[in-house]
Amino acid sequence: MSKVTKTLVIIVVAIAVAGGAGLFLATRSSTPATSEAAVVPTGGGHFLGPENAPVTLMEFGDYQCPSCGAYFPVVNEVMKRYPTQVRLEFHHYPLVNLHPSAMAAALAAEAAADQNKFWEMHDLIFENQATWSKLQNAEAEFVTYAGRLGLDINKFMQSMRSPDVQQRVLADVTRARDAKLNAVPTFFINGKQIVTPNGVDEFSSIIQSNLPK
Amino acid sequence: MNKRVLAIALLAFLGMIDTFYITIMTRQHVTVQCHVTEGCNDVLTSKYSKLAGIPISLFGLAFYLAAFSCAVAELTGAAKLTRLLFWPALGAFLVSVSLTSIQAFVLEKYCEYCLASALLSTSIFALCSFTRGDQA
Repeated sequence: MSKVTKTLVIIVVAIAVAGGAGLFLATRSSTPATSEAAVVPTGGGHFLGPENAPVTLMEFGDYQCPSCGAYFPVVNEVMKRYPTQVRLEFHHYPLVNLHPSAMAAALAAEAAADQNKFWEMHDLIFENQATWSKLQNAEAEFVTYAGRLGLDINKFMQSMRSPDVQQRVLADVTRARDAKLNAVPTFFINGKQIVTPNGVDEFSSIIQSNLPK
Repeated sequence: MNKRVLAIALLAFLGMIDTFYITIMTRQHVTVQCHVTEGCNDVLTSKYSKLAGIPISLFGLAFYLAAFSCAVAELTGAAKLTRLLFWPALGAFLVSVSLTSIQAFVLEKYCEYCLASALLSTSIFALCSFTRGDQA
């Protein structure tokens, strides 16, 4: 074997081993498991799904966080798979030092909630994350979403600035901090924090294990 | 066998594993959990984690692969290439200093995998500097 061939063989083997090791570690660290939060958050939140559902899926999310945006269709699919067995509970955790428009997005969702359109606004905000995240003034974009949802625009803008709406978002932030959450999205199932599942199937297997036998 | 070149190969190999891991985790859009520090996910999903839309971990992977290839070529006697690594290693070192500063002063959160990569690239730069000194 020539020196060049030997070099190439070692490089190819090293790439395969390093790639395999990286993949193994990534698979291991995204394996679903449960863990306890410092304090289980209670109170507040917005709910979707039947009140008597055996499984409550609680999410702490940031509308501008790319991972939360990536999990939006995953959570929707989970809700479609378990329409009567899962109740979604959403809480705000805008990481304002990383995502400059995350607070405005949370306020927009809460302002829409004042007109009973929280989930509709929640969906629009996530669906258009790539658009408004790039804008200097994302609030103007949220006003157009409010118009699209048929909300009273004046009332919506007043709500966005109301201390009550801000207090609701800040109360969620306090809940997240009390629970020592250090990442978004963070999910809880029936009050137990879970390591973020890697896709719909892993979510489903955790939900299945929490359904009554 | 040149121990410095062997050390460059080993460090670059570890860097390849680290950057492969970061790249896979960020591509999967899953939350990256820290074990030692706090805020891995925040760092890896921040606007500083990409350059022109390309994850910085991919640039790191390319650097470690180049460093590993040069070191192996020298160890097998195919070609003396590690002297070419000085400038890329200096670049990687400066990028590591910048990214670590961003973690410390802008994000105020640390990602242990990024810190490990910064340590590895700094060590490779130091070893390349010694190699360069030997040849001068």
